[in-house]
Amino acid sequence: MKKVAIIGVGITPFRARYLDKTYFELAYDATKLALEDANKNGADITHKDLQSTMYGIYNELFERQFMPDIFINSYLGMNNKPGTRIASGGATGGYTVRMAYAEVASGLSDLCLCIGVEKCNDCYDEQTGTTTPEVLNSIAYSADMTYEYPMGMMAASSYVSMVNAHFEEFGNPTEEQMALVSVKNHGNAMNNPKAQSPMNITVEDVMNSRIICYPFKLLDCCLYSEASAALILATEQKVKELKVENPIWITGVGAANTDCFIGNREDMGRLYSNIYAAKVAYKMAGLEYDKIKSQIDLAELHDAFSGQEVISYEELGFVPFGGGGKWIESGGPLMDGELPCCPSGGLIGCGHAVGATGIMSTGEAALQLRRDAGKHQVKTIENGRAISHSIGGPGAAYAAIIVMENEEGMKK
Amino acid sequence: MSNEFQAHQIRDIIKINYKYTMGSQSKFFLELMNNKKILGTKCSKCGKIWMPPRINCSDCYVSAEWIEVKQTGIIEVSTIVWFTTSAFIKNIPYATGYIKLDGADTALLQGIFSENLVPSKIKKGKRVRAVFQKEREGKMTDFFFVPEDEYENWLNKPDYEGGD
Ligand SMILES: [Zn+2]
Repeated sequence: MKKVAIIGVGITPFRARYLDKTYFELAYDATKLALEDANKNGADITHKDLQSTMYGIYNELFERQFMPDIFINSYLGMNNKPGTRIASGGATGGYTVRMAYAEVASGLSDLCLCIGVEKCNDCYDEQTGTTTPEVLNSIAYSADMTYEYPMGMMAASSYVSMVNAHFEEFGNPTEEQMALVSVKNHGNAMNNPKAQSPMNITVEDVMNSRIICYPFKLLDCCLYSEASAALILATEQKVKELKVENPIWITGVGAANTDCFIGNREDMGRLYSNIYAAKVAYKMAGLEYDKIKSQIDLAELHDAFSGQEVISYEELGFVPFGGGGKWIESGGPLMDGELPCCPSGGLIGCGHAVGATGIMSTGEAALQLRRDAGKHQVKTIENGRAISHSIGGPGAAYAAIIVMENEEGMKK
Repeated sequence: MSNEFQAHQIRDIIKINYKYTMGSQSKFFLELMNNKKILGTKCSKCGKIWMPPRINCSDCYVSAEWIEVKQTGIIEVSTIVWFTTSAFIKNIPYATGYIKLDGADTALLQGIFSENLVPSKIKKGKRVRAVFQKEREGKMTDFFFVPEDEYENWLNKPDYEGGD
């Protein structure tokens, strides 16, 4: 396989609603930003140089358009080139990066556009005169329609089942420990101008916010967002040819789909897809599951729900099982902690524009490794490595982990 | 022409009608509707009892046979939902949980009804029993679970009845 680098990153602001942009216009904006970033990074390219596109778009019902990728393809001026759409629930972004990596590593393309977009808040519930219940319903159709959807299954009740089962086993995470994640990620978003939910809040504010799904409260949950994020991936040969100044190499990609029926799992308190995806990605990058916390500089995690981020600390190998809650209490994942997690604000701070999310978090991690993240730049980039994490689908069945390294990281 | 942006939104709906095939799962729904029985399947090789049922064992790649499971079981995990999808918002608050029925190896997601819907009442480890709608349509909503100590009370309500 060829070596693959991220040479350009483009992320639109994450917002509750864009009345002035359609999904394909958002995709255009992110692509243009990614091309401009590649130009700044030394690569003199335009959209005409891109040989293929990998589209991350989760839900047709959001876009009110089946096969939305082909309409984006037209709008991006990518006609007569291959374009492939990936849809893997909340993990769509990470999975799309993995497939774009494969497109370039295989040599099928030297330059590939990896783009995610979602515009969810056009869904509208006539009964309540609000958006969110209809957005949630369009997502709930991703649950098993025969046995589980009819029970009122929704994203939060699916994730909360695993978090509650994890708590029963380990006494962790507690409601207060979950609230600390919310405080951290809303707080980190204060320094990210593209974030939808920057907030200076306390554990008490989280605990007092209204209950959504026991014990998740409003501030434990991410908000749905509209946004697009794009990456430009290149082979090593192209990186040299274009004289890219600061390539960020993708050195590990791991993905796994665990059983989408939580009730079929040996242990309901596990997001098994996390564990399998992480082990594959770390191994490919030559890193170790048990030592990963000291081998990377930051992690952009998929914190759709605060409790799930705590479990991810354990399942991605940062701390032993049952130790996630204590780790956030000790400040480990804070900006100035042992391993900053979600410096961008994550999903809780930035918002969740499903297909775009994992591409945004991968792009954010790449910018951090370039020391180009702006006000939310992590101070210490010494290993030269970072990971992004995407998870989603019924029972968090899908997961993808991407390991990235800058030039210094590659020398270690 | 003014360059000032003015937003325009249109009302629309996507709606598809179905006559959805239950395939080999038909037996589960027909037995539920006609006889108030809850069926699982047992792998002819490894003996695993699947719930929800599947007529092929995904572990062994051999067929699994229909068997009746008990209508009592244990809550593995549960939650109470206070904010939800447009399709279910009229039902809040409601509880769902993964129930391991006695004799089954996997757990089924179902509604848990209680006269006192609080987390402690539907905790992991609590025993529950199935209650059936009198009017059944061959759907998952034909039954639900209640805490075992509330079972008789639920049978006294006009719309519901016990299994056999
Ligand atoms: Zn078997």
